[in-house]
Amino acid sequence: MAKLVLAAGVPHPPRLVRDIVESPGKTTGEALMKRVRQYVEKAEPDVIVEVDSDHFVNFFYNHLPTFCIGMADEAQGPQETWCPMPRYVVRGHVPLAQALYRYGVHAKFDLAAAHELRLDHSLVVPLHFLNPAMELPVVPIYTNGFASPLPLATRCFSLGRMLRRFIEAWDGKERVVLIASGCFAMDVGGPLRGWTDTDWVETISRLLLRGQYQELARRATEERIAQAGNNSGELLNWITVTGAVGKTKPLFLEGDEGSGYAVWECE
Amino acid sequence: MSVYQINKILYLTDNDPDFRKRMKEHPEEAIKPFSLTKEELDALTAGAVGKLYQMGVHTFLLNHLYRYELFGVNRDNYLARIREGMQYDPRFEQGKMPVQYFVKE
Repeated sequence: MAKLVLAAGVPHPPRLVRDIVESPGKTTGEALMKRVRQYVEKAEPDVIVEVDSDHFVNFFYNHLPTFCIGMADEAQGPQETWCPMPRYVVRGHVPLAQALYRYGVHAKFDLAAAHELRLDHSLVVPLHFLNPAMELPVVPIYTNGFASPLPLATRCFSLGRMLRRFIEAWDGKERVVLIASGCFAMDVGGPLRGWTDTDWVETISRLLLRGQYQELARRATEERIAQAGNNSGELLNWITVTGAVGKTKPLFLEGDEGSGYAVWECE
Repeated sequence: MSVYQINKILYLTDNDPDFRKRMKEHPEEAIKPFSLTKEELDALTAGAVGKLYQMGVHTFLLNHLYRYELFGVNRDNYLARIREGMQYDPRFEQGKMPVQYFVKE
């Protein structure tokens, strides 16, 4: 029996690694990533499952899955030239990914599968901090957080519940850490670039802290998400993770403008 | 509408190094193989970000126009251009474009 030992949520600012090199000890993101990393290390995981939304690097409108399991042996990233940080080779965990794919389809989730991946910054920035030297294998679960129509948040919550059932049914000894990659509210490239929907960020933070995950999923309609800016669909990755943590409340949740950092202890 | 084709041009610019090189050196040649309407071609080559936004080009992809400084779009004029035709909104006051850093290719 595998076990979900820890869940976490972090954002993936593409310039964070460079900012830390230029101004060590000065960014909120550096301190919070370190804090999350301490819990990941203490949990002694064997594998990371990362819920993420590709930013038109691995997927484009020619093939655009709503949910997709990454099952490559290894993949490289980040691919974007505008993400100043080291390039990595990230190992996959093919048996776990294949079993999750099969389990999910049989549980009525019409998942897609990808055997080749080009990793974008949203997948790799969290791993740079939480999986140093890319020691652990990673199974990516992609949700379409970017191109309308987005999956329903309530469906993402159900996906997370299925994921927890899968982990507990998986015939292995792995200790699994689940990571949500994404912000709560942000606009990149839209007319409201730079503005933060603080009302929405506060609502999300409050519901997460209280463990009112289904209420959050009900409120996170595509319309509400769109009002908060074009990157705000990344919240769906957090909602997926809340589906997996059950009734557990976060150990901590710290905000950083439109983003949050959180940890759930699950054992 | 072939907004898909504009999205594709921007997607390839970000993801295909050879296409990106052509877009930087001879953008009007590079986009010739794509079937754009006259309206789309005019909006793209004029760097009319607001017009492209209203046509439904994905904003994350539109952002590549300023990242790669194509068709006269840059960090300083991007926000003003995308807001062309929109009513003033106080939230605009908080808007700023981040400085871009690139990894050497």
